[in-house]
Amino acid sequence: MRRYWRIFKEFFRTCLVEELEYRSEFMGNLFSSLLGIIVSILMVQIFFYQTDQLGGWAYADVLILLGIFNTLQGLINFALRPNMPRLLLHIRMGTLDYVLTKPIDSMFFVSLRHLVFWRLIDVVLGIGLVIYGLGQKHFIPSFLDVGFFLLSILAALVIIYSLWMLLMTTAFWVIRMDDLSFLFNSFFETTRFPITMYKGWLRMALTYVLPAAFVTFTPASSLIGKWDGGATLASVLVAVIFFWLARRFWKFALANYTSASS
Amino acid sequence: MITKYLAILRMKYVEMFAYQLSTMVWMFGTMVQPLITMMVWMNIYPDQGESFVLYFVALIMVERLTSAWDVWEMDRQIREGTFSYQIVRPFHPIHWAIAENIVYKGLFLVVLVPCWIILALFIPSLRLHLSVTGWGLFLAALLLGAVIRFAMSFLFGILCFWMNKVTAIYAMFETVSLFLSGQIAPFSLLPPVVKQISTFFPYRYMIGFPLEILTGTANSHTLMIGFIGSFIWAVVLIVIISLLWNAGLKKNQAVGG
Repeated sequence: MRRYWRIFKEFFRTCLVEELEYRSEFMGNLFSSLLGIIVSILMVQIFFYQTDQLGGWAYADVLILLGIFNTLQGLINFALRPNMPRLLLHIRMGTLDYVLTKPIDSMFFVSLRHLVFWRLIDVVLGIGLVIYGLGQKHFIPSFLDVGFFLLSILAALVIIYSLWMLLMTTAFWVIRMDDLSFLFNSFFETTRFPITMYKGWLRMALTYVLPAAFVTFTPASSLIGKWDGGATLASVLVAVIFFWLARRFWKFALANYTSASS
Repeated sequence: MITKYLAILRMKYVEMFAYQLSTMVWMFGTMVQPLITMMVWMNIYPDQGESFVLYFVALIMVERLTSAWDVWEMDRQIREGTFSYQIVRPFHPIHWAIAENIVYKGLFLVVLVPCWIILALFIPSLRLHLSVTGWGLFLAALLLGAVIRFAMSFLFGILCFWMNKVTAIYAMFETVSLFLSGQIAPFSLLPPVVKQISTFFPYRYMIGFPLEILTGTANSHTLMIGFIGSFIWAVVLIVIISLLWNAGLKKNQAVGG
C-alpha cells in the first residue's frame, strides 16, 4: 500500500511538471470551469423558479448535492478520464506489454498514470458550492454527520472508480474511446439531482442495478444531517462488490488478451 | 450536380455502417439528458406528466434531426492537415458535409419514428393531432432549424482556419443553447425575460420553434415571428459562410497531410 502511494506521488509529480509547461492555458480553463458551474446553478434556478422543492429537497440542499456532483466530476476528469485514450492506444499498438511487465499492478498503472491538474479547479469550485449551500441553509454539520459523509463519499469514489474500470476494460473488445466516456457521462448525469426525484422502477434501477443513488445522494444527505446508517452501510457494501467485479473483469480481460505487437 | 450528390450520398451511407455501434451509442446517449429534465418537470408538476412526456419525446426527436457535428470534424481535420484533401476536390466541401447530414438524419428518422409509433400505442399523449397544414409548417420549421444549426456549426468550423480553440467556444455556444432553445424547459415555464431574449437569438429557431408547432402550442403570432426569425437567421448565416469561406482558404496553411 505504502509503495503504491509512493508511486502515485511520483505520477503526480511528473504530470505536474508536464502541465506546468502549458501555463498559458490556465486562464481559459479557469473560465470554462467557472462557466460550467454557473450553468449548473442557473439550471437549478430555472427549476426553482417554478417550485420550492425537488424530490423533497429545498434549494440549498440541491446546491449542496450539486457541489458534491461537481467535485466528483472534477476528480473523474482529473485522474480517470485522461487515462482512457492511453489504454486504447496501448491495446492497439501492443505497448500494453510494457505495462504488464512492470513490477506494479497493471490496473493501478493504466487507470492512474496520467493526471490533468487543471481539472482540480472543478473540485475547488464544487467544495465552494457545498460550503455556500451549507451557509444558505444556516446549518453546521455535526461530527457524526461529517463522519457518515466521509464514509459514504469514500464509498462513492470506489463505486465511480469501479464503474469506470468496468467500462474501460471493455476497450479490449470495443475500440472507440469517445463512445465509452460518453456512455459514462450519460450515467453520471443521473446523479446531478436528488435520487428521490425518480419514481418507481427507475429509482430501484438507479439504486441497485446502476448504483447512482450512492454516488451523490447518500453523501449529500449525510452532510445535511439526514444520514441513514442502513444506506451508508449499503453504499460501502455496493462499493466492495463493484470493486471486486471490476477487478475480476480486468483479470479476465488480461487473460484473454493477445498482444498486438510483433 | 444530382448525380454527384447521389454518389456522395452512397459513399456516406456505406461509411455510416462502418461506425454502426457508435452511432447507436450516441443516438441513445443523447436521450439521457432530456429524459432527466423531463423527470424533474414531472416531479414539479405531477399532474401535467402527460404534456411533459410529449414535449420531451418530441424534443429528443427534433434535437436529433437538427443536430450538427461538423465543427468537431473540421477542427480535427484542419488541425491535422487532412482538410486539404477536401479542399482540392472539385466539389465544394460543404456538399460533402450536407450529404453526411442527410444520410445520418435519414437513419435517425428510420430508427426514431418507429420508436415513437410503438410508444404512442402505450402512451396516449404521444398521439399527435396535427392537421396537414400543421405538418407542413412543422416540416418547414424543422428544415429551417436544421439549416440554421448546420450553418452555425459549419461557420464555427471555418473559424478553425484562424483560431485554435474553436471547439471550446462552440461548446459554450451549445451550453447557452440549453436555456434559450427550450431544451431545459418549455418556453411557457421560463422566466419572461429569458423568453423575450430567445426571440433574438438563433437558438429558439433551431429546436424550440419546430417543437412548439409539433406539440401544438404555437399560435399564429408565434408562427409568424418564428418563421420570420428562422428565415432571417438562415439567410444571414449562409451569407456569412460564403463570405468567410474564401477568406479562410487564403488563411489556411496546411500542416502535415
